[in-house]
Amino acid sequence: MHKNYSLYINKISKRFGKQLLFRDITFNAETGESFFITGPNGSGKSTMLQIIAGVQKSTEGEIIFSSEKKEIPAEERFTHFGFASPAVNPYDMLTASENIRFAASGVNGDRIDEMLHLFGLYPHRSKHVGLYSSGMKQRLRLIIAMIDSPGILLLDEPSSYLDSSGKDILFSEIEKIREETIIIIATNEHEEIKLCGKGIDIAEQTI
Amino acid sequence: MQSRLFKNLRKDFLIEFRNRSAMNISFAFAGITTLSVSLACGGASLTPQIHSVLLWIIIFFSGMSGLSHIFIREEEERTSLFLALHSDAENIYLSKLIFNIILFACITALVTPLYLFFMQVMPVYRLYFILTASAGSLAVASITTILGAMVAKAESRGSLFTVISFPVMIPVLWISIQLTSDSLEGGSPPELRSLLFLLAFSGVIISVSYLTFKFIWTEQ
Repeated sequence: MHKNYSLYINKISKRFGKQLLFRDITFNAETGESFFITGPNGSGKSTMLQIIAGVQKSTEGEIIFSSEKKEIPAEERFTHFGFASPAVNPYDMLTASENIRFAASGVNGDRIDEMLHLFGLYPHRSKHVGLYSSGMKQRLRLIIAMIDSPGILLLDEPSSYLDSSGKDILFSEIEKIREETIIIIATNEHEEIKLCGKGIDIAEQTI
Repeated sequence: MQSRLFKNLRKDFLIEFRNRSAMNISFAFAGITTLSVSLACGGASLTPQIHSVLLWIIIFFSGMSGLSHIFIREEEERTSLFLALHSDAENIYLSKLIFNIILFACITALVTPLYLFFMQVMPVYRLYFILTASAGSLAVASITTILGAMVAKAESRGSLFTVISFPVMIPVLWISIQLTSDSLEGGSPPELRSLLFLLAFSGVIISVSYLTFKFIWTEQ
């Protein structure tokens, strides 16, 4: 049975030196909700996702992430998150299976094979990832993000590099897991925005 | 925690054995410099002090060329975000530290017998000599791991690493050279206090690094 998660983003701001990227971003989401973050290039969509995932610090504001009403500390957040982004690069010198085993916690070989089959990478599972095309790497990123059935799935431009069959697989997987996961998608693609119930324009700060 | 540490270590060793960049650089440097020194000296009789200085210069620079690689590779190949997403900072630090200790132990185990063989020297106090080489290597590996993490986040990484390592490394090199010289020379046995200093120094560096690593690793 899946746990209920809730995420509360409270007045998050990010500055790089003197340059303000975004300010006072506030929203919340609970298990079963899908949320998009949109905005022009350079507005900080990817940075916002990395702040939520706990791999970057915000300049101001707080993120409260809880499971069954019990707050999860920032340093433990990574065990509850799945994150796929063009900036997340698996190791080129490892195979797809090795990368998945490295990233996943407590999944067996059958689950790995199932996901590799689903995303069409099973025939390429023993190749070094350095030999993969951009689309194959993106499929691998999505497998790694989803394989642990995370409580929160953070997707940064998830359909980038994907062909039409890759997009179909991605969208059908999102449909399957949306009831038991918080899904946050950073995107400007209408197809991806349509998957979400609500969202925010990070540049305009409008929900 | 153990499982995550083991996964990180396994990953680092798998990648290292597949491209062998750090090992090749370090071992090539160690072999070339040892051979060069022995050829240049050409059978000249050197004092134990000179032998120990030469030995530690070779060990130090062999390590410098490979030890920073473990963190710099994550930044250069843009895999640091992937690593950060799937492991907590403490496990990342510990796995990189263990990797560097093992790598530096291999470098020392290669350089030291080569040097003794080519230069035709034999330590009088063999146990002290081995303990000094081990404790000195541990101290060098513990310093270079945390400095490697800092340098990996900076620009112009390669040259910066050796430059910023040197001041922190001075006490370690100084004590290691003195102890090595004493164990080569004979006379009164080397001081146990100095050996303990090297171990304590490593302990302090590792403890402080463990506690502060997350501030270096997490993007501010």
